[in-house]
Amino acid sequence: MFRKMAVAVGLVVAAAALPVQAQDYPEKSIEFIVPWGPGGGSDALMRIVAQGLAEETGQAIPVINMPGVGGNVGLAEFAKRAADGYTISQIHEGLLVSNKTGITELNWDSFIPVALVASSPQYLTLSKNDNFSTFEELVTYAKANPGKVRAGVTLAGIPHLHMAMIEEAMGLEFSYVGYTDTGERVRALIGGNIDIAIGDISSAAQFVENGDLIYAAVGTAERTDDAPDVPTLKELGMDAELIITRGVVLPAGTPQETVDALEGYIEKVMAREEVIRLMGNAGADAVFYGQDAYRTYLEKLDASVSKLVGKLEG
Amino acid sequence: MDAFLAGAHQVFAFDTLTYMLIGSVAGIIAAAIPGFTVTMAIILTLPLTFAMEPLQGVAVMLSVYVGGYTGGLISAALLGIPGTPSSVATTFDAFPMARNGEPGRALSLGIWASFFGTVISTIVLIVAAPPLALIAVKLGPWEYFSLIVFALTVVASLVGNSLMRGLIAGVIGLGIATIGPDPMMGRSRLTFDTDLLMPGLPFLIVLIGIFAISQLLSEVEIHGKKTSHALIPKVIDFKTWQVMREVLMGPVNLIRSSMIGVFIGALPGAGGSIANLLAYDQAKRSSKTPEKFGQGSPDGVVASEAGNSATAGGGLIPMIALGIPGSAVDAILMASLMVHGISVGPRLIMDNADLVYGMFIAMIVSSLMMLVVCVASMRLFLRVTDIPKQFIVPTVIVCCVIGAFALNNRMSDLYLLGIIGLVGYGLKSLDYPLAPLVLGVILGPIAETNLRRALMSDADWTTFFTRPISAVLLIAAVISVVFSVRSILKIRKTARETNVASD
Repeated sequence: MFRKMAVAVGLVVAAAALPVQAQDYPEKSIEFIVPWGPGGGSDALMRIVAQGLAEETGQAIPVINMPGVGGNVGLAEFAKRAADGYTISQIHEGLLVSNKTGITELNWDSFIPVALVASSPQYLTLSKNDNFSTFEELVTYAKANPGKVRAGVTLAGIPHLHMAMIEEAMGLEFSYVGYTDTGERVRALIGGNIDIAIGDISSAAQFVENGDLIYAAVGTAERTDDAPDVPTLKELGMDAELIITRGVVLPAGTPQETVDALEGYIEKVMAREEVIRLMGNAGADAVFYGQDAYRTYLEKLDASVSKLVGKLEG
Repeated sequence: MDAFLAGAHQVFAFDTLTYMLIGSVAGIIAAAIPGFTVTMAIILTLPLTFAMEPLQGVAVMLSVYVGGYTGGLISAALLGIPGTPSSVATTFDAFPMARNGEPGRALSLGIWASFFGTVISTIVLIVAAPPLALIAVKLGPWEYFSLIVFALTVVASLVGNSLMRGLIAGVIGLGIATIGPDPMMGRSRLTFDTDLLMPGLPFLIVLIGIFAISQLLSEVEIHGKKTSHALIPKVIDFKTWQVMREVLMGPVNLIRSSMIGVFIGALPGAGGSIANLLAYDQAKRSSKTPEKFGQGSPDGVVASEAGNSATAGGGLIPMIALGIPGSAVDAILMASLMVHGISVGPRLIMDNADLVYGMFIAMIVSSLMMLVVCVASMRLFLRVTDIPKQFIVPTVIVCCVIGAFALNNRMSDLYLLGIIGLVGYGLKSLDYPLAPLVLGVILGPIAETNLRRALMSDADWTTFFTRPISAVLLIAAVISVVFSVRSILKIRKTARETNVASD
């Protein structure tokens, strides 16, 4: 009896110690709709976030995979859910591209961006071939042979956008070959069935180390710790960022207090060393952009996608 | 050698073996339930392995994997419903055999074939992984397309009584596969702007609808009036050892089917769902008694089960040699290693030799465990057939529905499942063979993707004939069609002559 009382008192004290907002949100488990299949990049990273959120909020955060049509099936379902903060989801650059190419009506502003949590640097990756082995050689060769360089991309997807950025900035012309995921592209690159592709650390680093592939450039503002010898596109004279960012969103119409509360929890999650380490293992940098910074990022991205959309409709 | 011993030491630890045994049972059960797949079982295992040592985790997942390739056999043989996509061809002969009063023999045959298939594939994996993996990676879209064209000619073996109806079923399958987002760009096709069709018809939904729902509906029809009738007559004995000898007495079929499994498994993106049908087709073509196939031929059961189990080892070839997953399951295996900070790639075998050797050992141990578990529990599986139909049919339907929902967590998939089930039942009642339809659904998108990819890489059509492997596959496809047509004409002629004679 005494022990039960002690526990009860302890719980009351603990509850009182929590900040006010946390008392009403979340009161129950939060469903996390990941609009991609299990085992992919989004899934791995969002499961790390969900795990951290569950520990911070003390509520279960079940991850529900709803793959299909490049994330659009899950997001269409998510858009219909109640805007009460008990269903959250995730978007990345692909949504903006799908919107501009007419695959979906939804866009980033159909939701409330809460926080950007993971950023994956993208590398321009070359196959081992006789014609070029650096960025400069690629540019020279591609200028001399327009349409000769075969670029593996997800048609009307982010890699296509990234390639189009390079094409435009350097005045080149590639011929595009469609592949659905990074693993497939890297495989085709190794087999010599394509010449260049966009790769990342988790899918291509070992092949680069082994000498089968070459990282020609990285799309981040500064050189990365994973591949410090690889020059950035900025150093090579191109003003564009090639990264994939993933962020958490809420349905439009969610009360501002709830958005703020969730943002606060995510900020704490992203400060955890465990989360940073696990995301690093999965090939992404753990970052935290709050509501405003995330919104600004998406607005800027939206403008640059709009500019290049003509190149993506093939 | 040190690495080998280190690997063996980790696998033969008591806790690892215990977990593997549990994994093996779990894999068998998951695969035996129509609608639940091996991939699903492995995804469920994944978080459990986070807390284990890397090799321990992978060993447990391998035991689920190997068990899963056998479990599909159970419902294929006893219910006529493939438990997993990889056991479609098993239903052709194992189910008639069970209905003819030999369910024990059908199960034993499948189990032994699976066991030897896994072992053969593991041996190939150990001996020839690096060169085979290199070949698999060099294959471009031209070779893939030609391979699929060849695989499509398998339809001719699956047509049953009427070539025309078989081809129509195949074309329906290819047509179904075009609904939804196109495989290259995600543009909607034939969806009529409905939410129902927007995501397309997922292959597993088609499979469960076509085989499971339609089969269950016809169960109700056949014995609708006689209730409390079991699906299969009284239990007959298993003849475990006799069957083992029977399987080993047909080494050509066993090895050919296993090698098909290894090869298809090693090609990223193909996998068990194609291997069992190809192995079955080749067994039928080279058999001296092809007319027995589909009536309960032991060779058919062996071909399908050895073929699908061998893809387990085959899929590991590109993964271990190059770090490229051969199937969805291998991708999940890789994910579990990556969580432990082990990067899977061409350097895996150099940097983590003990892990790789441990995986080889775990494959063999898993197949032994699968064998022991299956042989020991066969009697229990056969109990299923004693359960009156009015209990088993609704139970299996519920499992199918849950499994179908769990694939993508989409309600609309369940409506599709119902519609496809009814369509499948209708086709079945009209005596259309269903296997060509499913083959069309599996192969259609792969063919389309690779054809488009090939033409994007090189607009020249003749490349399909100038690349040697592609050319060989296309020639094989032509030969395959010619032979099928000839043998069908011959059968028809004989049938006509007998008819004339009897008139």
